[in-house]
Amino acid sequence: MIQVTGLTRRYGSALAVSDLSFSVKEGEIVGFLGPNGAGKSTTMNMITGCLRPTAGTVTLGSYDIDTDADQARKMIGYLPENPPLYPDMTVDEYLGFVYSLKKCTIPQEEHLEQVCKMSGLTDVRERIIRNLSKGYRQRVGLAQALVGDPKVLILDEPTVGLDPKQIIEIRETIRSLGQKHTIILSSHILPEVQAVCDRILVIHHGKIVADGTSAELSERMEGAEQLDMTIEGETEAVLRTLRAVPGVTDANIIREDGKKSVYRITAETNTDIRHNVFDALSQSHMAILSMQQVELSLEDIFLELTETASVAPEAEPVPQEDPEKPKKKRRLFGRKRDGDE
Amino acid sequence: MNAIRKRDTQGFFCSPLGYVYIGAFLAIMNLYFFATCVLTSSSDTSSVFSNMLIVFLFLMPILTMRLFSEEYKQGTDRLLLTAPVSVWDIVGGKFLAAMGVLVRALLWTIPWLVVILIFGLPSWPAILGCYVAVLCASAVFAAMGMFLSSLTESQLIAAVLSFALFLGLYVADMLSYSMDSSSILGSIFNWLSIFTRYDTFMSGQFSFGNLIYFISLTGLFLYLTARVIERRRM
Repeated sequence: MIQVTGLTRRYGSALAVSDLSFSVKEGEIVGFLGPNGAGKSTTMNMITGCLRPTAGTVTLGSYDIDTDADQARKMIGYLPENPPLYPDMTVDEYLGFVYSLKKCTIPQEEHLEQVCKMSGLTDVRERIIRNLSKGYRQRVGLAQALVGDPKVLILDEPTVGLDPKQIIEIRETIRSLGQKHTIILSSHILPEVQAVCDRILVIHHGKIVADGTSAELSERMEGAEQLDMTIEGETEAVLRTLRAVPGVTDANIIREDGKKSVYRITAETNTDIRHNVFDALSQSHMAILSMQQVELSLEDIFLELTETASVAPEAEPVPQEDPEKPKKKRRLFGRKRDGDE
Repeated sequence: MNAIRKRDTQGFFCSPLGYVYIGAFLAIMNLYFFATCVLTSSSDTSSVFSNMLIVFLFLMPILTMRLFSEEYKQGTDRLLLTAPVSVWDIVGGKFLAAMGVLVRALLWTIPWLVVILIFGLPSWPAILGCYVAVLCASAVFAAMGMFLSSLTESQLIAAVLSFALFLGLYVADMLSYSMDSSSILGSIFNWLSIFTRYDTFMSGQFSFGNLIYFISLTGLFLYLTARVIERRRM
């Protein structure tokens, strides 16, 4: 349905998006995930034809967004980061304008009623957009994208500024839309992408650093086996015992609490060290109060991917603590690039 | 094009802007009509019309400043750019909306004709010429103002730039009288003289050359606006 090939965008000398290629099948919900300034909005602007790429092509169905612009644009509903609303119009007037702007042929009355119902606007149709709350404006933005029943929906951070209840509602709406539409949405909120999307593209510094379902992404990270354990005993002695266990590469205290500290133990790849650790500790008469396997959440994966991507894309992630890491994180998330408004 | 024209017209009349605009125009022009035609019992409207362009010189920036700047500021240009409409639809729709407000303002001057018809002998061809001329000349201003509005996100900058441009043209027009028309600068000023060309109509001469001049200048600025909008995608 959507075919993106070699998409590149420069702003002066800054490279916002570099050589992005992917395709989206019909009916798929794809999430763009990445920190601020990763190039998500720029990519979406290029897919929708708002921005011309420096290089590369975007094809929707069988229409190129540049050469068959009119046909291709008819297939798209776009919700930009800031919903494009005219504050002095009522919701009805606004949607009516969008309806005629998109040159729709479906019967207007019923269609707009349906769109309002889908985006939860039925009660506010007569109200002036200026007086609506941020959450409702976001919904009007979504309704605007739905007008004309486009095959492709591009939603740039659709849940920004909504309260938790509204977020859940919008997510459900998007999920239900996925049956009829092909959807690309962007977010820097991980649970959201996890909850809504069939497939996740992690974008960082304008490049795709990972592509797959959330399960696949978790699998990629399974190299690192870690255990969190609460053990009773003298910290020094416990650490010595743990480090002597075959298969253990590292052991550290993550919370010191007298004689009941919490330790994190890192094992070699693909080895189950639980038996060995149990044996070693029981031989030294150190009681195990709790033992838990550390599962990497999508959040960790995301951090790992975006951390390592700047060094070597697609590289096997290194689970060790890097002393420079915290500093780097701040830089990555604090910086705004002109690719992302 | 029609959708955008309707939406922009609505934009003018949803806010008080459109009404204040027409009201201000009528207040000034009616006063002028009263002073030049009613008080002197003259049926010659040309002096009223000749000053109408000066009034538009001041009022036009207020009308055109919001056309594109506001869209940029609200982010609604994205909506227009991703809709299946051409750049010409956008530019044309907005231009027609602005001209629509002007036409509405001009329609309110019809009572003058009634007054003249009751108390005097109107010269219909001259009056028709005046209306055509004021429409064409103000179209030039509207296109210029819209072009400047497409360059900036700030309505204020758009208004100030348009006002400076119109006033500059007015000064150039005055300078062209005192300058030797054979010198390069003189001939440039002479060519730019929108107001002189406009006054030719007021004196009762219908000039196709000047009409085409107005229309092509309007076309030029519409084209430039379209290029600027196109360029925003770059």
